[in-house]
Amino acid sequence: MGWRNSDQDARPERGRSAPAAVKFLVAGGFGVGKTTLVGAVSEVAPVRTEEYLTQASAGVDVIEGLAEKSTTTVALDFGRISISAELVVYLFGTPGQERFWFMWNDLVNGALGAIVLVDTRRLEVSFASIDFFENRGVPFVVGVNCFHGECDRTAEEVREALDLDPDVPLLLGDVRRPEVGRGLMLALVDRLMAQAPPDDTPVGVG
Amino acid sequence: MSHWTEGLEPGDEDRSLVRPYAITRGRTAPERDDLRLITMVVTVDEHGEKTAARGLEPEHRAILEQCREPSAIAEIAATLNLPVSVTKILVGDLITQGRVAVRPPPTARQAGLNTTLLQAVRDGLEKL
Repeated sequence: MGWRNSDQDARPERGRSAPAAVKFLVAGGFGVGKTTLVGAVSEVAPVRTEEYLTQASAGVDVIEGLAEKSTTTVALDFGRISISAELVVYLFGTPGQERFWFMWNDLVNGALGAIVLVDTRRLEVSFASIDFFENRGVPFVVGVNCFHGECDRTAEEVREALDLDPDVPLLLGDVRRPEVGRGLMLALVDRLMAQAPPDDTPVGVG
Repeated sequence: MSHWTEGLEPGDEDRSLVRPYAITRGRTAPERDDLRLITMVVTVDEHGEKTAARGLEPEHRAILEQCREPSAIAEIAATLNLPVSVTKILVGDLITQGRVAVRPPPTARQAGLNTTLLQAVRDGLEKL
């Protein structure tokens, strides 16, 4: 079993070592196909996990002295791709309500990048995700989900409608097909590699 | 007005009345803040079966069982059907007791600068 092998990067506290894990986000508005994409490329059926988020209700009308925070349960679906015994990729589909996952720091922090899915019939539901990653400087690619394999817009039309930066990759495809999700992830990794310094200085993955 | 526990069968308490924070004995925040959704957890095998069970909640034992194969915090939370923050508290207990080892994920900055890691991800995705 490979993961038992000693690995300088693995830093096992005792004995065994665990694989390195990296994370991609799959974002976009409600109903654009996030969980479908995760399910198409994951080696296991998408798994649901939940978190309690405490939201400071600043700017919301509250009676002085009453609870100033509210707690919300947010659920997301995620999948797993075991690259090797030493490396696992997790794909997290963001919850549909942006105002909740935007403040879920543990979800956003540490993500190598994001795939933002759009539906050409409702482009506006994905605007907030694009703005969010642009503002945070998180590398992302855009996937145009061609539901049932039909796309009624060209890549150029969608790019223009989203006012995308020219260097943001945009691909069209039916996300039920695994090769579409794989292509989006590859485009994202290529973008990350293009941004990485050419000099390969190992930073350590642990 | 009938009491809200009426109608529950004896023995139901364990299943239906235990709220997540009862499992953590009231703790709502992990003592350590370094655990992430994709922090990998693996059971340390040097404890025998008997000592492994002593003083542990069933959820702790379930984590030890699951993490014989390395699992991410998010996967443990999903299996236990508990919120991520509660899962982190329980994993933190096991770290303190030396029963699990963890591997933190690289930060986005570390990973983004690490072309070896990125190339490994790329090669793996191409083989899918």
